[in-house]
Amino acid sequence: MAHKIPAELKYTKDHEWTKIVDDQVIIGITDFAQSSLGDIVFTELPGPGIKIIKGEAFGVVESIKSVSDLYSPLDGVIIEKNDELESQPELINQDPYTNWLLKIKPNNLDDLDELLSDKDYQEHCKDS
Amino acid sequence: MNNLKTTSLFAAHVELGAKTCAFAGFNMPIQYAGIKSEVAAVRNSVGVFDVSHMGEFFVEGPAAHDFVDFVITNDFKNAPTGKAIYSPLCNERGFIIDDLIAYKITDTKVLICVNAANIEKDWLWLNNFIGDFNCKLTDHSDTYSLLAIQGPATEKILKELKLFPENNFDYYSATLFSYKNEEIIIARTGYTGEDGVEIFCSHSLVKTIWKSLLNLGVIPCGLAARDVLRLEVCYPLYGHELNESITPFDGGIGWTVKKNKISFVGKDSLINHSTKFKIVKLSLEKGIPRAGYAVLNNAGEKIGEVTSGTMSVTTGKGIALALVEKSRLPEDKAFYIEIRKNSILATQHTKPFVSGGHK
Repeated sequence: MAHKIPAELKYTKDHEWTKIVDDQVIIGITDFAQSSLGDIVFTELPGPGIKIIKGEAFGVVESIKSVSDLYSPLDGVIIEKNDELESQPELINQDPYTNWLLKIKPNNLDDLDELLSDKDYQEHCKDS
Repeated sequence: MNNLKTTSLFAAHVELGAKTCAFAGFNMPIQYAGIKSEVAAVRNSVGVFDVSHMGEFFVEGPAAHDFVDFVITNDFKNAPTGKAIYSPLCNERGFIIDDLIAYKITDTKVLICVNAANIEKDWLWLNNFIGDFNCKLTDHSDTYSLLAIQGPATEKILKELKLFPENNFDYYSATLFSYKNEEIIIARTGYTGEDGVEIFCSHSLVKTIWKSLLNLGVIPCGLAARDVLRLEVCYPLYGHELNESITPFDGGIGWTVKKNKISFVGKDSLINHSTKFKIVKLSLEKGIPRAGYAVLNNAGEKIGEVTSGTMSVTTGKGIALALVEKSRLPEDKAFYIEIRKNSILATQHTKPFVSGGHK
């Protein structure tokens, strides 16, 4: 089953996507991630004003069977969380690229330099 | 996954796009279309599970009933022929080796269905006693396939296939049945709380039945949905609520111990046992309890641990069975579950989270 990997996004090895829009970084989980998890039934995300630290867990996504930590790809401060996911976590299954998790004000955009391109991420998924 | 066994339906599961996973030495289908839709199918219409990994032993001979009655804690002797009895298998100290269903097929033949992970252990254990009884014990785990067809539409679907006994087939019955020139065993049992049937048959016939069921629109369901379904109706699972450091009284199945039976393995220990633990049913408005999470009291002290937890598909809430120290049960009935360092107030239930519609 081929998973969608949009060319315009950058990816983490933990199966998150990032997108730079103006001075913000939007974070979500990939199609591969949502498909591996199955029915997503719960998200726990920090709210606006909370600092997140590169490489550290900032929240969780839970499917019926499993709990998965989310790891931050950058240092920054949360501007907005996707509140819709609280009542409708299944939106992530339906469209993981529209249904983002957090919008971040980055401390340093250089943090994103080491993220994977769509092609590199595709390779990474093959090994996962 | 190279050393794993597969069931005879494995190719069919792969063709359906099932996600598979190692379970009790088998590579088993965990889910097909999705856990939510599979659970809903069983609660509202009908689903089918390949549970061929389960173990099947036969006890045959004049003393077959006596043997089974002696090794299990529940009353098998007085059950009528054609009945199925759920029971733990306990050691001399009253701790649970496994839980099983014993089917009284005829006056001289009993089928025992055991958990896949415990086949070898049970086999060795039962062989300690078989020599004292005029009957023989044989392991047919590798020669039988097992399908569980579960949900309120089970009877209707199986009648279409002429795969449903006409008479005396109420809840927890079992009978020999002739189907397509094969003698199969069909039982009105299951692990979902819904009406349903379990079919023990050959590896070749199971493929025919599986295909016929799917052609009639029966939804293939995986082990993940099965786990949600059993937890919604609060059925225990060996390795979670039940294990070898727990007695039936501590594991919430004290009703299966018939202390008045003349003799059975573990009787001396069980009649003198003082219960230390209680299984409690807890739900959360927000958050999902998971096995291993701590259960706390109002003062934040640990009083127990979640043994099984999931998101209930049927109720939309986080649900759990938890093993709590009896002496520390909170008088104010306030149980908290610790999730990622937050303690979340749980609601205690006296009845199962979902009632189920079995007959």
